[in-house]
Amino acid sequence: MDDSNWPIFEVDQHIVAHGRYYAGKIGSRFFTALRDEKKILGIRCPHCGVVLWPPRATCRDCFSQLGLEDMEEIGPQGILESFTIVTYKEPIQPRTPPFIVGIVRLNGASCGMTHFIDEVAHDEVKIGMRVTAVFAEHRQGHIMDISHFKPVRFSTD
Amino acid sequence: MTLAPTLQVREFVEIPCTVDIPYRFAAGKYLSRFLVELRDNGRFLGIRCPVCKRVQLPPRIVCAVCHVRNSEWVELGLEGTLTAFTIMHLPLTDPTTGKPHKPPFCYGSVRLDGSDSVVDYFLNVEPSMRRLRVGMRMRVVLKPRESRKGDLTDILYFDPVD
Amino acid sequence: MKRNVAIIGGGQTHHAGRRPDVNQGELVNEAVRAALTDAQVAIDEIDAVLLGNMEFFEGTHLTDCWLVDATGALGKPGLKITTGGTVGASIVCAGVYHVASGLFDKVLCIGFEKQEEGDTGAILSAVAHPLYGRSVAGAAVGYFAMMGASYMAAWGATEVHSAMVAVKARQNACKNEYAHLRLNITIDDVLSSRMLAYPIRILDMCPASNGACALVLADQKTAEDRCAKPVWIRAMETVHNEQFEFDWRDVTTSKPMFSRVAAHNIYKRLGVQDPAQYFDVFEIYEPATWAELVWYEDLGLCPRGEGFKLIENGVTEIGGPIPVNPSGGVLSTNPIGASAMLRIWEAALQIRGDAGGRQVPKEVRRALATAYGGTNWTVLTALSKDLED
Repeated sequence: MDDSNWPIFEVDQHIVAHGRYYAGKIGSRFFTALRDEKKILGIRCPHCGVVLWPPRATCRDCFSQLGLEDMEEIGPQGILESFTIVTYKEPIQPRTPPFIVGIVRLNGASCGMTHFIDEVAHDEVKIGMRVTAVFAEHRQGHIMDISHFKPVRFSTD
Repeated sequence: MTLAPTLQVREFVEIPCTVDIPYRFAAGKYLSRFLVELRDNGRFLGIRCPVCKRVQLPPRIVCAVCHVRNSEWVELGLEGTLTAFTIMHLPLTDPTTGKPHKPPFCYGSVRLDGSDSVVDYFLNVEPSMRRLRVGMRMRVVLKPRESRKGDLTDILYFDPVD
Repeated sequence: MKRNVAIIGGGQTHHAGRRPDVNQGELVNEAVRAALTDAQVAIDEIDAVLLGNMEFFEGTHLTDCWLVDATGALGKPGLKITTGGTVGASIVCAGVYHVASGLFDKVLCIGFEKQEEGDTGAILSAVAHPLYGRSVAGAAVGYFAMMGASYMAAWGATEVHSAMVAVKARQNACKNEYAHLRLNITIDDVLSSRMLAYPIRILDMCPASNGACALVLADQKTAEDRCAKPVWIRAMETVHNEQFEFDWRDVTTSKPMFSRVAAHNIYKRLGVQDPAQYFDVFEIYEPATWAELVWYEDLGLCPRGEGFKLIENGVTEIGGPIPVNPSGGVLSTNPIGASAMLRIWEAALQIRGDAGGRQVPKEVRRALATAYGGTNWTVLTALSKDLED
């Protein structure tokens, strides 16, 4: 057989996997508070004082165990720490570009939350802007129970 | 503002996540030839190592035992010997199509004549212990040329040689 | 070993079919805290954190990064390892190399699986080669079933022998408070249980469990200064098999099987003449009953083809001369990412005399743990009570 004449053979396949993510004790409280109370909860470490979002069962900084009683409301307002305007297209994206993704440091939290920024002209978004959470009409215990963050405009908010 | 402390979580939240990831796999030189031969000519090609003489399926460039290039292409027989089998009572789903194979059915490992490697596939044998036997002779039955696409599913089943 | 390495502490979760009350981090943290407490070591003293699980089983990549809070790895070096079913032991391998090298003194090794979260069937099918076999990939149970059919045909064993292995495992697990399945069953119960893939019935097969295991490994000075009962890891052996060759289902194959090769290598290294005499207890990774019978032979506990006689004569019972899987084994508890580490940890508990109701009733100075991966390779671990053993 001719050793240099190799056929090209490629196959397209998909891997489809259906999973379910368990939020755990602290996470479950976070999501039910979003859904039922339109409240965003962080968690305060009683040992080192850091207030973490997302709330979790172990302190990121000092490894202390954290409990439901350490959870406290943060936001709904916060400062936009950074952002980008996504203009390239990928099938996996949750929204059609162009859209704005930003990091919001909610009032009371020691770290930021990534989310969409909307209801603002793209050339008006600024680092340091004050923004506030907008909750979705139909909530189901999901991070998208917050629909997006919008600028705080002093005359109306 | 701190919420009133509660000692128990009444509802444990589960969030469904589905990933659907597309891939494009290249078969590479030797495997491409194997798959094309199977699809176009209904032939099984193995490859022999020049040192240990093992005839390997699927054909691959290097013999893992001897670390030398496999060189000699060998056309295998379309009959072989059943080395192991099972009767599946669980539906086996082809992950590339999502279609399940309805149980019960027989599934086994056949060593085609001339090959050192075995091929796993469905067996066209009634799913009871009356006929199934390690050592029984089996024959490859292929799908018709127009349904073959260069994949092990080009095999329809292994049929017992009577 | 360049430097001697000991297990100075460990912990495991109470393994379960369902743990909806915890997320992956909370599950892992249970084992981590138990291990640190058992070792009397604070997280700040840990020099490296090694984490392993089955790739993408939980639908998340980079689990070592996502679980940093839970593992205490912030700011620390470490690795994430995935090697299929052997991963729990591969983590320990990596941990041993870290300490033995002299570069790290105290290493935290973690194996976990939260199987209910992912689509394990879909992900397992991706183990098969995409273009040669994925479309007809049999489930793990199918592969072991073929091994069982081959075993019976070759050596004259029957389904009763498989049931004996199942009963031993499940009765032993009844004595293990951490085991997932603790079933007080009889041979008749097994033989009348649902057939999954002939000859394997549901009680012959391992479960899918949620659980975690963690070990603290340390150098000799730390172990001797701080640990009352260090368990020494004397040797580890890993051997890759040729993934395309499925001969391991044919028990009469003349091909060198990975488990036999690994056993041969580790026995040579340690100077083992008769493993049944040398080791006092075995923790074998058996996803199905037939695998245990084949392991007896591959480990040299009996001649080839006679594994079923060992179980028939009660030799491998918890009170027998060659106790195998006093913990209940993988047949009783299988959070895959942790399973191989649990074999090592359970063997260590036997050496320490801390195995509670499942402690074998004889002195245990040396133990052998095995790990078995769907990629058909294996990890063996030899442990001992003293460095002179």
